[in-house]
This record gives sequence, structure tokens and C-alpha cells, in this order.
Amino acid sequence: MSTRWFPGRPGLLKISVAALAVAGLIAGCGGGDKDGASSEGGTITLTVKTFSQFGYEDLYTQYEASHPGIKIKQENIAQLGDYTPKLQQWLTAGSGAGDVVALEEGILVKLMAKPDQFVNLLDYDAGSLKSNFLDWKWNQALTTDGKKLIGLGTDVGAQGMCYRTDLFAKAGLPTERDKVGALWPSWDDYLATGKKLTAANTGASFYDSSGALYQNILMQQGDTTYFDRDNKLIVDSNPGVRKAWDQTVAMIDAGLSGKLTTWSPQWNAGFKKGTFATIPCPAWMLGIIQDQAGPGNSGQWDVARVPGEGAVRGGSFLAVPTQSKHPKEAAELAKFLTSPDGQTAAFKAKNNFPSSPAAIDSAAVSGAVNKYFNNAPVGKIFGTSAKSLKPVYLGPDNQVVGDAIGDALTAIEQGKLKPGEAWDKALSDAKRAAGK
Amino acid sequence: MTTLEHEARGEGTVVDRRRRARAGAWSRLDLHGSPYLFVAPFFVLFAAFGLFPLGYTVVVSLHKWDLTGDAGLIGFENYSTLLADPDFWNALLNTLGLLVLATVPQLLGALILAALLNRPIRALLFFRLGVLIPVVTSVAAVAIVFGQLYGRDTGLVNGLLHLFSVGPVDWQASRGGSWVAVASMVNWRWTGYNALIYLAAMQSISRDLYEAAQIDGAGPVRQFRSITVPLIRPALIFTVVMSTIGGMQLFTEPLLFGQGDVSGGSLRQFQTIAMYMFEQSFQNFDYGYGSAVAVVIFLLTVIAGVVNAVVGRMVRGGTQ
Amino acid sequence: MRRRTPSGHGNSLVYLTLVVSLVLSVFPLYWLFVVATRSNDVVGEFPPPLLPGGNLMDNLQRLFGPEAAEAHFARGLLNSAIASVCVTVSVVFFSSLAGFAFAKLRFRGRNVLLLSVLATMMVPVQMGIVPLYMVMVKLGWQNHLQAVIVPFLVSAFGVFLMRQYAERAVPDELIEAARLDGCTTFGLFLRVVSPALRPGAAVLGLFTFMGTWNEFLWPLAVLEADNPTVQFALSQLATQYYTDYTLMFAGTLVAIVPLLVVFVLFGRQLISGIMDGAVRS
Repeated sequence: MSTRWFPGRPGLLKISVAALAVAGLIAGCGGGDKDGASSEGGTITLTVKTFSQFGYEDLYTQYEASHPGIKIKQENIAQLGDYTPKLQQWLTAGSGAGDVVALEEGILVKLMAKPDQFVNLLDYDAGSLKSNFLDWKWNQALTTDGKKLIGLGTDVGAQGMCYRTDLFAKAGLPTERDKVGALWPSWDDYLATGKKLTAANTGASFYDSSGALYQNILMQQGDTTYFDRDNKLIVDSNPGVRKAWDQTVAMIDAGLSGKLTTWSPQWNAGFKKGTFATIPCPAWMLGIIQDQAGPGNSGQWDVARVPGEGAVRGGSFLAVPTQSKHPKEAAELAKFLTSPDGQTAAFKAKNNFPSSPAAIDSAAVSGAVNKYFNNAPVGKIFGTSAKSLKPVYLGPDNQVVGDAIGDALTAIEQGKLKPGEAWDKALSDAKRAAGK
Repeated sequence: MTTLEHEARGEGTVVDRRRRARAGAWSRLDLHGSPYLFVAPFFVLFAAFGLFPLGYTVVVSLHKWDLTGDAGLIGFENYSTLLADPDFWNALLNTLGLLVLATVPQLLGALILAALLNRPIRALLFFRLGVLIPVVTSVAAVAIVFGQLYGRDTGLVNGLLHLFSVGPVDWQASRGGSWVAVASMVNWRWTGYNALIYLAAMQSISRDLYEAAQIDGAGPVRQFRSITVPLIRPALIFTVVMSTIGGMQLFTEPLLFGQGDVSGGSLRQFQTIAMYMFEQSFQNFDYGYGSAVAVVIFLLTVIAGVVNAVVGRMVRGGTQ
Repeated sequence: MRRRTPSGHGNSLVYLTLVVSLVLSVFPLYWLFVVATRSNDVVGEFPPPLLPGGNLMDNLQRLFGPEAAEAHFARGLLNSAIASVCVTVSVVFFSSLAGFAFAKLRFRGRNVLLLSVLATMMVPVQMGIVPLYMVMVKLGWQNHLQAVIVPFLVSAFGVFLMRQYAERAVPDELIEAARLDGCTTFGLFLRVVSPALRPGAAVLGLFTFMGTWNEFLWPLAVLEADNPTVQFALSQLATQYYTDYTLMFAGTLVAIVPLLVVFVLFGRQLISGIMDGAVRS
């Protein structure tokens, strides 16, 4: 009888023995062979934390060759959305941020309110490098009292206006890029062009979605947007904001928007199928358009100047966190990577458009053409756009307020709110977000 | 093993009996001590790795704490802000709505699937593997596939609706549309998962019971209601509790549906409380406020669990 | 004798339901396979292509080749395999033990302890990341694989699942009889209880393996790109602004294969459970 309870197959017994063995094997499970000590035998290892593609690989090799005793280790995270929580975790835990850390514009602006987690680069003779950077780029990382510099600019999201030549031809509009640029000296002219294209029934919308457009218009409206220099919320009193809003709403009303969610599969596919005729495009977007539209559409896309005076969206900085054990060496490396030569090299490697006027004027950048875009002189187009933009002060809560307004615009596009309601909602959301 | 079997057969000698007397103290210790030993590993590891994060979150929630660190103790200010925050209440409404839309069809579907898979059918492993596949599929793939399905202009669902002269529906834009779409993603991903839990429970029901019922003339549906469902009650309770916890923490599916937008649509029409927490902590860097949201999510989940238990007891009382 | 098959009419209805569920479940995976065998221009196409193309080998080569070197995909597969096996074995063992204790043994504080196990699951996972990372910093485990293993060697989900399963699957008479035979409690667990728990343990093992394999947030937080898990490596295949869908789907496809193997292994346990005489009451 009793033997019935002792089955012959001790499957779980084996497993449990294995489980007990696991306890001893855990050390053996650990596969990470990270060299914890950052300096041994006179060699200093500097860790550089980046996201997306900074294009620094060749620069590291060059720097290691000219600086014996320095080794560089880059730890990159592909997407900003994954990198941002990690950054916060490093800063909160006081460990992990490495020696040089990349800060995207939105994050840097936020950090400027209380920049004590980063070393003052002015203490490491960065002050003399001011002329290496576009004024507004330099000022973004400088505290308002001018006493502390927490970051050195890397790239800027200088913008052009990408457009489909075949759709323009179908609508009887010029297709050559200078003539296309001449169609829209101002955003009102852009709107008028859009109406013509829409009237021609090409089946395509004039642009993809309104968020990016609004952002471009806003940045051309003067030296402040949602906050004044004392970080007081002026979203409801700044006429520039209202003007950018009204202009965007006028375009939605005219039926120019494709109402596509950015990065959605439909949006991606739109580049190939010609779902929309124009899209404001930062330098790095050219690669995406080429990949998404495919070799079959070579020459269908071209790039012209943006309406208004220059446009820039985003860009990044390099900073040295106070948790670095080698701030001096780290600051030297950051200076090297953001030097005009460093920025030119990064542009050659990954199309990151420089924030340094000298780099913008260098032959490698200003002479750059893009074969896929009908040999467009992209270096010149983006360079002009970056240099003609007047500096704009953003303020630490810029992004939250910007999101509130962007969402309200989307709600208008979706037909969920009337423009008036959307504006009221955006204002109250903005006030709440900024007051939190 | 041999000694044990000897003892079991009661063939003990005097020595054996003495040994057994000594074993009496041992066995008392075994009887009263072992249970604690068995559950100890969980609590030891939880104490090592779970307790600190828990306490830390509570402490942070009482501080003003942003990206740059601790800016001072502020007591319950984060909580009072939260209670007056319409975005929080909106997220809570979305979470509860999705909880109902996603849990009920999911568990019913799982129960039916499990009952079918518990029958002697051909290609059993194949079917079991098939229904579990959604759990395996990576989130990136889920996002793209459902993006295709619920596309406004070229989506397959709108294509189907068009056949019945309905639509096109902008699934992202409206509360109802986005809820249906998100709930369908949740249901798709987790129905097979729950079916497998039910299936495992059904496997422990003796076939004799069904045979006896069959002799008594009970049909399959009757057998299912009077034998299967009562006998897998622990598994049912388990899935209801887990779905409730999962529903209160719903995060991935609505995030994917909105192409990674943590605000859950232009009017926050499908932002859940877990997304709101993530938005506050990791996008707006308001770590103190985000921690307060986390603590509130925890408390709400506890309440939902208690409600579950009470309703469960009432239902049981009603059927008896 | 029992009838092995239901009546013809009911039977076809059963198959119809199952086939429909199967198609709904499998279609996205099939579509994943289709994209993995094609080139990038099919994404977002309408109607979507339904037949595989000829680019699978190309895409796999790209996945393991220099183009995707920064994703360290092979390393990610190995790391995830090690972590998933360690975690699964441990969770199944300790959960069975604790679940059995909670379901079938009487001890003071049992209900309170069980409720506290349940409560630990109600804490939203995303918030624990920063403090848990701080613990890892203290231990010096940043970017070490044990950081994604050791904290997960037990699971509240597992304890609860096995507790619920053991409640029905282990008859009390069985335990009493074994006790009378002089089994120690652990002996009882090994010889009597664990065979009865096998189907439940198989489900738990399966879910734990999949859960560990698909875990993303925590590995991303504590590891770095040169020593990733498989999901971390997959996320590194996309850049900030551009998603190479075919590469990513090829990677996803490769990442699913081990899960299917594990499923077949555990699935056998799940089916054989009922045949075991030990479970009969």
C-alpha cells in the first residue's frame, strides 16, 4: 500500500537538488566582468554615457592615442526614452553616471534650476571656448547669473523643410528647392501653398501632424516662450505663444494636417507612400526618410529652407557629473569631443549637425550634399537655419508646458475640442503642471 | 528509505522503538518548525531586496524630490496635491474602466478555452502551445501588429467595420474607442495565460467524478458547472486576484497603443494610474510626487483586493 | 468504459472554437515571421503582406554581424538563458515548498504571512527600480548578471499560485497517511506532495521562465549595453529615431525560439500530470 505514495520518478527531487546547487552556483551565474576600478597602474578609464548615436568612436581612438594613460569606455543606450529614467536613477543613487554624461536639451533645461549634481566647467577653463558655440547654445547651459556652466553643446536639431517633388509637380507647384523655398518666406505663405496643394486633390495631406510645425513657429517668436528669465509662467501673456498657436490652428482649419501620430507605423509608411507632402526635418531625419521611403523613391524627396527665420528643435550637451572621480580628465575629454573638429567628425560619422559656427563653416559640413535628396546642399541649408535662429530662453518646466499645448493641438486635430476650448484647457493644464 | 519502509510497516525492534521515541521530540519540532522553514526563503529574500525599496518609496513620497535630489520634507503635501489633481482622477477612472473591460472577457474566455483544451482532442500540445503564444510575443511586435489593426486610415479593424458601413473610427482619439482597443490588447495577451492556469487545475480533478456524472446522465455543460468550476475554485480565486492586481498596475499595453506616449492620448483618454506615476517620476522628474502616486496605487490595489474577497464571499454564500 | 471522444456535432464545435482562438493567437507571431523574412518597406503597407519573403538569412546575418555589434545580441541570449534557468529552478522549488506549507500545514501566523505575501505583489514595480538600484550599488552588482537573478529567486506570484494549486491537488488523507508512515515534513514534500504538484509546477516554471526572459525594465536599469539580457539587446537594435523593423523582428523571432523549446518541455509535464496514480484520491 504505502509504496504507492513513493512514485518511481523523482522528477521534482532532481529539480530540487539542482535548485540547492543553484544557491552555490549563483556566483558562477554572474557573467559581468566589469572592471570596477577606474584607475589602475596609472591608467585612468573614463566612462562616457550617451544615447542614440553620438558618432564618437573614431574620436575616442584619436584621444587615447594622444593622451597615454587615458582609456575611454562608452556606454550607449539606443533610445532616449530608456536613457532618461536611467539618468535619473544614476543621479538619485549617486552612482552610475560615469565621467562624461550626455544630456538632451529638455533634460538640461530642467536641470538648470538646480545644477549642483554637475561640475562647473568654468572651473576647468571652459570659459575661453565660448566662441566655439552658437550663442544660444552656450547660454542654455549657463546659469542665469553667468557663474556656472554645466554642459558643452554637441549637436543642434537644425531644420529644413522636406518635401515630395512628385506631389508638388502634380499640384502644379515648382519642384526645384530654391523656388520651393521662395514659395514660403513666412508661415502665412506656407499656409497658402498648402491650400493650393490640397486643392489639387493629390490624395496627400500637406504636412504630417501639427506638433512639430507649432514648435518651429514658436521658436521664431522672440527670446522667450512659456517662461520669462525669472522662470515665471507667461504662457497666457506672451503674444508669441498665442501667435504660434493661432497660426497652427489656421492650418488645421484649412485641412492641411495629415493628423498622423509621429513614429506610428502609418507615419513611417507615409514617407514611402507619399501620404504627406512636407515635413519639417532636422538633419538627422534625412537618414530616416531615406530608410523609410526606400531606394525606389530616390529623388522624390528634397529639402528646402523652412518658413520664417531659421529653426532648431532639440540637440544635446556633454556634462561632467560631480560623482566622477576624475573630473579634470573628464572635462578635458568633454572639451575635446565638443570642439569644432570633434563636432565635424561627429557630423561625418552620424550626421549630427554641429552647434559650433566654426564646424558649420568647415568644408566638411558646409559642402555636404545628400545624394538621395537630389544632391541637396544640406550642409548649407541646415547651417543657415541654425545660424539665423535667434536665441530663445526656455525655462526648467518648458517640456511639461509644451506637452500640454501639443496635446491640446492634437485634440483639435482629432475633432475632440474646439480651438477655443483647447486653448483654455492648455492654459489650465500648463499652470497646473508648472505649479506642481 | 529502507529503514523508513520498515518502520512504516511496523516491524520495529526495541531499538527502533527507542529511536522512535527520540524521534518524537524531533517530529514535534519538525511539525511545528518546518512550515516556517518552508516559507522562510521568500521572506528572507524579500527582506533583503524588497523591503528597502518599499520603505524608500514611502519616505520619498513625503519629500519634495526632483531630478536634482531631495528638497526637504513636506509631509503629506504630495498626497493632498494628488487628491485635488484631476489628471489623477482621470487616470483612476481609465484604470477601473479598463480593469472591467479587460478582466471579465479575459477570464471567461480563459475558462472556456481551458475546458475545451481539457478534453481528449487531437493535436493537444499544438493547440495548447498556440493559445499561449501571445504571452511569448515581444512587446515591440505587439505594438506594431496592433498599430496595423487599429490604424485610423488603413487598419484592418476599420476595414472590417466598413463592410458593415460603420466608421471609420479614430481609435486613439476617443475614450470609448481607445478603451476597447487597449482592452482587446490585454485580453489577447493574457487569455491563454489564464487558460493554462485553469487547465493545470482541471488536470487535478479525478476522471472518476466525470465518469460518475456521465453515468448519472449529466451532459458536458452540466459537468462543467457542477464539477469543474467548483473544483477549480482556488485557481479561479488566484486568477481574479492576479488580474485585479495586474489591472491596477496596467502599463505596457496602453503605452504601446499610444506609440510610447505616457500621457495616454491627447486628452489622457487612456492614461492609467501606473502611466501617470511613470510620467510624473521619470518624464517630469517629480520623483516625490510619483512616489506618492505609487503609494496610493498600492493602497487602491489593497482596497480592490478586499472588495474582491467580500464579493467573492457573498457570491459563495449566495450559491450555497 | 468512458467514451474517449465527444459526439460528432459537439466535436466540430470544439475544434472550430479552438481553431479560431488559435488563428487569433498565432496571427501576430506569424506576421512577425513574415516581416522577419522580408525587407523594411513592407511595414505599414496596406494590405499587409501575408506570405514570407526570402530575406530571413540576410536579416539573421545582420543580427549577429558587425552592423548590430553594439546590441551584443548573442551575449544577451546567453545572459538571459543563464538568468532564466537559475530563476526558474529556484522559484519553482521555493514556491512549491512555501505554497504547500501555506495550503496544507498548520502554523501560527499562517494567514497573516500569506496576506503579506499577497501584499508584496500590490506594490507597483516601476517605483522600486531606483531604490533597488541603490541596493545594487551598495553590493557592487551594477552591470553584473547576479543583479537580475538573486532578487528574483523567490516570487510572491509563485507562492500564491502553488498555494492555490496545492489546496486541491494534494488531498489531506494523502498527507495524513504519509505522516503515519513516519515521513518527516520535508520527506513528505519530496515524496508525496511534489509529484501531485507537478502540473502546477510546470505552469509556474513556464511562466517564470517566460517572465524572466521577457523582463525589460530592471535589466535596463542595472545592466549596461555591453552585458545585456535579450530584451535589452533587442531594444538596442532600434536607434532613437529609426526602427529597423526587419532586424528587430528577426531578433524577436530568434528570442522566441528558446521559449518554444521550454514550452514543449514543460508542456509534457502538464499533460502527464493526470496520468499519475499518485494524484488520485
